[in-house]
Amino acid sequence: MRLEKCWFCSSPIYPGHGIQFVRNDATIFRFCRSKCHKNFKMKRNPRKVKWTKAYRRLHGKDMTKDSTFEFERWRHRPHKYDRNVTEDTLKAIKKIDKIRMDRESRHIARRHQGKKAKEFREAKKELDQSISLVKAPSVLKEDPSLTLPKLKVKVVPSQSEQDRMEE
Amino acid sequence: MASAFASKFSRVGRSLLGGLGNNLSGSLTTSNETVCNSFITQQQRTFIQMRTVLKVVDNSGAKKVMCIQALKGKKGARLGDTIVASVKEAHPNGKVKKGKVVYGVVVRAAMQKDRCDGSEVKFDDNAVVLVDKQGQPIGTRVFGPVPHELRKKKHVKILTLAEHIA
Repeated sequence: MRLEKCWFCSSPIYPGHGIQFVRNDATIFRFCRSKCHKNFKMKRNPRKVKWTKAYRRLHGKDMTKDSTFEFERWRHRPHKYDRNVTEDTLKAIKKIDKIRMDRESRHIARRHQGKKAKEFREAKKELDQSISLVKAPSVLKEDPSLTLPKLKVKVVPSQSEQDRMEE
Repeated sequence: MASAFASKFSRVGRSLLGGLGNNLSGSLTTSNETVCNSFITQQQRTFIQMRTVLKVVDNSGAKKVMCIQALKGKKGARLGDTIVASVKEAHPNGKVKKGKVVYGVVVRAAMQKDRCDGSEVKFDDNAVVLVDKQGQPIGTRVFGPVPHELRKKKHVKILTLAEHIA
């Protein structure tokens, strides 16, 4: 039994699932489900389709380089069965899986962090520069309380945007 | 003031929309193309039935044969089935001449077929290997990939001759 990878979305194909297409040069394209098969027939490039693993890896959404990935490898020689080794492997799988999950979540958190800070900075800049569109400078001088606070309080960027729209 | 704001916003909005529009039109055209392509190339694949023309992928001398009878199955032949065919095109000095009635095993079919584990397999084209009445191949070579299901159908000789087994 072998778990193949889907050609389009790189998800595992369990036995009895999916369809495989054999081209005349004997290359085999395996698909996990009809969704992937249809996308292949439409000649879509998996690197350009956002939900595929290929896209996510290419665009830095997922972790690509990690030592935990090196356990999964194509081995041409079948390993001889050894009860002890198998037992250890089964234990290790859980441990490695946990490590990988942790690292992945950390990777994603790090990715989000930069984005949030960037959005916040941009929103702040926009607010500073174009508050005059919402309220004239003269009015602002008269009654500063009516405008949005000048970053004394933590402002969520999306909310400030909304407020501006309402004004 | 408000107008200034509105004008700025509208400009932004237009530019945004413009970008969107461009994108949309681009994507639309591409999707149209792909749809057309899929209509041309991806028609509904069916059984190999009477008058289906198949490619001959051995060196028996025939190039194209037309199915005149599927030996098993009411609807027609599928991957691995045997058919009776008439030779429509042949090489000038081959073993098989044009107009002869021959037996053949379907080694590639564009219609998908269930594998023993429940998954499916399909090929690029409809191809056949010519055999005699006993099931021995007429040619001495087989080109292109063939499915391993032929073993179940007792066509081991074709499998041994084949270049690739899928």
